[in-house]
Amino acid sequence: METLGYLLHGFGVAISPMNLLWCFIGCFLGTVIGILPGLGPAATIAMLLPLTFQMNPTSALIMLGGIYYGSKYGGSTTSILLNVPGESASVVTCIDGYEMAKKGRAGPALGIAAIASFIAGTFGVVGLMLIAPPLAKFALAFSSPEYFGLMALGLAMGVLLAGESMTKALLAMLVGLWIASMGTDLFTSTSRFTFGNSEMLDGVDFVVVAIGVFALGEVLGNMEIREGTQMLPVPKGWRNLLPTWQDMKDCRFAFVNGSVVGFFIGVLPGAGSTIASFISYGIEKAVSKHPEKFGTGVVEGVAAPEGANNAETGGALVPMLTLGIPGSGTTAILLAALILWGLKPGPLMIQDNPQLFWGLVASMYIGNVMLLVLNMPLVPLFAQILRLPVYILYPVIFGISIVGVYSTSSSLFDTWMLVVFGLLGYLMRKLDYPSAPLILGLVLGDSMERALRQSLMMSQGDLSILVSRPISATMLFLTALILFAPLFKKANAWRIKAIS
Amino acid sequence: MKSRSAVLMAALALAASALPAGAQGFKPTRPIEFVTHTGPGGGGDVLARGIAAAMEKEKLLPVRMQVQNKTGGGGLTAMAYLAEKKGDTHTIAVFTSVWYTVPLMREEAKFTMKDLTPIVRLVIEPALVVVKADSPYKSLKDFIDAAKAAPGQLKWSGGSIGSRDWMVRQVLMKSTGTNWAFISFPGGGERIAAVLGGHVNMMVIEPQEAGEHIRAGNMRVIAQVADKRLAAFPNIPTIQEAGFNIPTVRQVRGIVAPPGIAPEVVAYWEDVFARFVKTASWKKYLEENLFDDGFQRSAELGKSGEEQDEFTRIILKEGGVKVAR
Repeated sequence: METLGYLLHGFGVAISPMNLLWCFIGCFLGTVIGILPGLGPAATIAMLLPLTFQMNPTSALIMLGGIYYGSKYGGSTTSILLNVPGESASVVTCIDGYEMAKKGRAGPALGIAAIASFIAGTFGVVGLMLIAPPLAKFALAFSSPEYFGLMALGLAMGVLLAGESMTKALLAMLVGLWIASMGTDLFTSTSRFTFGNSEMLDGVDFVVVAIGVFALGEVLGNMEIREGTQMLPVPKGWRNLLPTWQDMKDCRFAFVNGSVVGFFIGVLPGAGSTIASFISYGIEKAVSKHPEKFGTGVVEGVAAPEGANNAETGGALVPMLTLGIPGSGTTAILLAALILWGLKPGPLMIQDNPQLFWGLVASMYIGNVMLLVLNMPLVPLFAQILRLPVYILYPVIFGISIVGVYSTSSSLFDTWMLVVFGLLGYLMRKLDYPSAPLILGLVLGDSMERALRQSLMMSQGDLSILVSRPISATMLFLTALILFAPLFKKANAWRIKAIS
Repeated sequence: MKSRSAVLMAALALAASALPAGAQGFKPTRPIEFVTHTGPGGGGDVLARGIAAAMEKEKLLPVRMQVQNKTGGGGLTAMAYLAEKKGDTHTIAVFTSVWYTVPLMREEAKFTMKDLTPIVRLVIEPALVVVKADSPYKSLKDFIDAAKAAPGQLKWSGGSIGSRDWMVRQVLMKSTGTNWAFISFPGGGERIAAVLGGHVNMMVIEPQEAGEHIRAGNMRVIAQVADKRLAAFPNIPTIQEAGFNIPTVRQVRGIVAPPGIAPEVVAYWEDVFARFVKTASWKKYLEENLFDDGFQRSAELGKSGEEQDEFTRIILKEGGVKVAR
């Protein structure tokens, strides 16, 4: 019961009026930047760093932490309302979230996203508090072969994301993998598909592709419809703008799934929240009683990835706080902040600075409650945006997309790339290709290739390294299971037909 | 026309005479654009923001410094941006060693460090060669002997080709006639995790990154990549002291300006940074990061830059990397 004592001490730190205020400021800023596409938590924290030098490190960490997990709450807003993924992890939310909005259920989608975020975010903190040290060892057991297994498993989820045609889904995924290969080869430093442009040396930014294919593609596609005054349906009355009990009941498993998957994948320094959201969506669809409805606006399809995305923050703090190893861009900046404040992140930090760790943990419980309270009233408010006539809404989406991309890189080159990918998205819609598998290929391609080549360098070219290690073998087995399950299903259906 | 140009000349003469003689004609009049090639939170960005904050605190500049992140192309985007601002006296940038290395390796590069105006060198970053605490290698010699016994079997984790850790490996392999695998990880965290998880045998790491892992007893230092031993590690030999006669691979950071900058402007900036490196905030920064003070003025930096260029070119060629220029 040592933990309880520490936690009480932590609450003592977090509940002081000043720290409560900092926690609120962090959560509020996080929500705002989460809603704005483009500007992410990493850039915001970096810009605020100089202001934190005068602050006490615990208060500063409480505030920056609030920005980090708070941004995950707002991230789903533009995905659901406008089909503009604000950050990589909300891409999956677009699939069912935007469909729900089109059916007039934007409110319940936003509401369930906030509730799932709260449940999973809190689960992430519990995990961080109770099992951080043993988990850190688990994270270290993961190396390149294990990451390859994980990425393969993630890619296999693409099969589950397929709409009607598996062939089209796989083709879209291949295009995603191709885009991922652009830029500089990490191992040989040769350029791939840069076409002589130095702007292409870092590859294509994920945000550019996601916003282009999803948002611009959608806008361009809808411009063909001539009824310019048409509006999306928004039901009247506050009650209809919030999730119903039935929605909550439908999401029971999604809450658990998102929490657990998000947290454990978050712990791994080489994985990230995008993979977590894709995998939890895939699991949700795989176990669902009505998998065919996914992609048409089911509430679980929003709850699972949004939950995973939030539980991931708790997980990602595990290697950062217990080992001093950052797993994502944002935790890397938090780590830099700890160093600038004169703390020494590493294996001994929690032991040396208990008030810092436990203050942060306690503030995360408080912060998640604050975020729920902050976000729920915003739901009906945001849902009103869809009352705008389409001829106003679409140009607004267009503008938001361009500003979002320009604000992340301040590069006109990227803005032109956005246009290119917008056209690609438009073509894909016209030809009925799903866009989610393309994004999945793009997200995983880079890390998967890297993991495979690192593994082969370790084993001097021997492929058996991928199956001789228990964790990677298990994951590759699961991958095979997912890939072959549809075949069995078909064979079974055929057999049943034959018998009857 | 004639009369108008005469008026212009007169105005210019008047303006010139109004300038104080001591400052030799240059003083910034609007905010300084301070370019870095890393995104917010990256190494160059943190340094740039640190310098901007300290300049303001110590009142060394009459105007503010505004950090501009020009990311992309491993520094090439920032270099091209600077080169296009030819003659702009209100723009300077933080450079790091990759500004020398990347243009050598990439056909896409349109500019090199030679196109820019060197201002000052600020930092030399030493590094440590570390192993996991329970590793059988107690010294660099142990590791080299093991590598000799099993060529290609041992593994280093590090950054990309052309990075400092890769260069250290290249020169060490050449001087000892051995070889071992170099496994690239893009993130520093992943490199450390690979060592701590026992997936690779060794790595080159920045002292500040390694400090806590050493204190916790997870890592052991077996050699230093530095010209002289760091104060924090008085008992660990440098690579040369450990018996390997190789040049120290230096990682540097400093300040450059766009091309075509007049000598008096260069002198102004040199002077500002010469005063800056004497401030307490800068000394504290060096101490906290375990960096060496590498202050060099413009002329010296131009020369040491050329040496760095030549050195890098040779190592790249020997390592089988195609050198673009």
